[in-house]
Amino acid sequence: MLHIGNERVPACSGLDRRSFMHVGAAGMAGLTLPNLLSLEQAGAVEYDKSKIKNCITLFLVGSPGHIDTFDMKPEAPDDIRGKFKPIQTNLEGVHLCEHFPLLARKMDKVAMIRSMHHNTGTAHSNGSRWQMTGRDAIGANQQPHVGSVVSRVFGPKGNLPSSIVLPGKIGNTGGPSINGQEARYLGSAYEPFFLNGDPARSDFKVADLVPAQGQNEFRISARRELLKQIDSVQRRAETSTTIQRDSAYSRAFNLLTSTEAKTAFDLDKEPDKLRDRYGRNTLGQSALLARRLIERGSRYVTVNHFDTVFNICCWDMHANGTSLNNTYLDYERLLCPQLDQAFTALIEDLEERGLFEDTVVTILSEFGRTPKLNARGGRDHYPPAWTNFICGGNIKGGQVIGSTDRIGAAPHDRPIKPDQLIASIYQGMGIDLETTMMPGPGSRPIRLIEAEPIHELF
Amino acid sequence: MDQKFEGTPQAEIKLDGRKLIRGDVSNDWGLRLQWQIKRDGKVIATPLARTDMEYVHDDKTPGKYEVVLQMWKYINYKKNKQGEFTESKFIDISNTVSYTI
Repeated sequence: MLHIGNERVPACSGLDRRSFMHVGAAGMAGLTLPNLLSLEQAGAVEYDKSKIKNCITLFLVGSPGHIDTFDMKPEAPDDIRGKFKPIQTNLEGVHLCEHFPLLARKMDKVAMIRSMHHNTGTAHSNGSRWQMTGRDAIGANQQPHVGSVVSRVFGPKGNLPSSIVLPGKIGNTGGPSINGQEARYLGSAYEPFFLNGDPARSDFKVADLVPAQGQNEFRISARRELLKQIDSVQRRAETSTTIQRDSAYSRAFNLLTSTEAKTAFDLDKEPDKLRDRYGRNTLGQSALLARRLIERGSRYVTVNHFDTVFNICCWDMHANGTSLNNTYLDYERLLCPQLDQAFTALIEDLEERGLFEDTVVTILSEFGRTPKLNARGGRDHYPPAWTNFICGGNIKGGQVIGSTDRIGAAPHDRPIKPDQLIASIYQGMGIDLETTMMPGPGSRPIRLIEAEPIHELF
Repeated sequence: MDQKFEGTPQAEIKLDGRKLIRGDVSNDWGLRLQWQIKRDGKVIATPLARTDMEYVHDDKTPGKYEVVLQMWKYINYKKNKQGEFTESKFIDISNTVSYTI
């Protein structure tokens, strides 16, 4: 609890608009954002007690064709319906592509949203910004990553970063490389931790957990003490930036010296059979690592299925004969099997550990793909319609929300925009969007997201 | 980063009449897993093997049937203009069983 005068004001979690305005008014009388951050860092705000659920997002870079995967149109003409066959799932009347046989048996656990759409551009980065931040904003108005928002509002639960991105940051996807992956105006202390390593490799190490050559724990601790002394001098000219830096240094030291953190990243602690169940590939092992991180204190883990779309086997199925030459072969041999296995293993594993109700799991992507096959048998970017998934946490599974028209060209009913899905993630995590605020640009209190959650999910 | 697949997946298969039974796949890459069914030396079917541990091939055409479990092996992104992989390929990951009709 944060005390201002004689009034006890909750920390950002559970803080209603009126109270936040009260803090804001107090700030004008002397309690500035740096002061607030200091109080938080001094323990006046009890982040560890901010009880919300967690979230693991599997983000499909390049984006699957909805008609080839989750929204098949077997009655459509040849040049639309594509090559794959639908199979019945365990939800009556609901079909998926034949290359998702494991997911077909888990549809009672998940909510499938078939009417996703946006209208702000066909670049990967448009969709990525929507799905990572809940808005498609560029320039000075760039928004923070959802994980950064969660990190800022609810803080860490231990020595692990609150928001982690596996296996690495999305890089070149063609257009502007503004993919909504940073903390932006929330500050460097709330940047997601980017792993930058492939947990499927036998030589996998987390660079930030390995001391530089010549360093040992004694020297690291000595440096932390030295930094504290310097910091006390710095505080005379304190700004929010120095405080954020302080917090970022502190996190880095914690990560470097924490046995718990080292253990969290050690996949060798998992049984071989479970590692096989997730799939010994980058997506599968990242999903397993995500579970370990959530279990040990991270709040929001994003798993990017690929970091680029060029010269790599990924969902971006243009079949263009050159650097974007993914086709149905990539889908049936590599991509669908990986996702089918990793997603269903994650659900099963979370359930077995009693974590499914404490963890929202989503599959997000940037857009759908053109209903009509292009001249080379591929499909191109198509934001007017696609399918995503959400389950776990407070989410009601076993349902399909929305639909598209007979050729998958546009939502037929219940159109859903990405910000509604992001709002649903927050609510699925148990965050009350009516009472929880965050500091916006210039410390102005704002809602976490303006859109309303998808009511059918709750 | 491109994906690198290490080790080699392995599984045992056996035959019970015409019913094929597979064990768990160790070092499972999580890529397409299929039964490769040959009749008199020619591949006639490659059904998915991921979901179930057992499979019966319906075809009763007379001949010698040989079956092996295969998984896709991704080596690199090299493809021809049509998008067909030129180096990545299916590999056998089990023993072979056979029966005659």
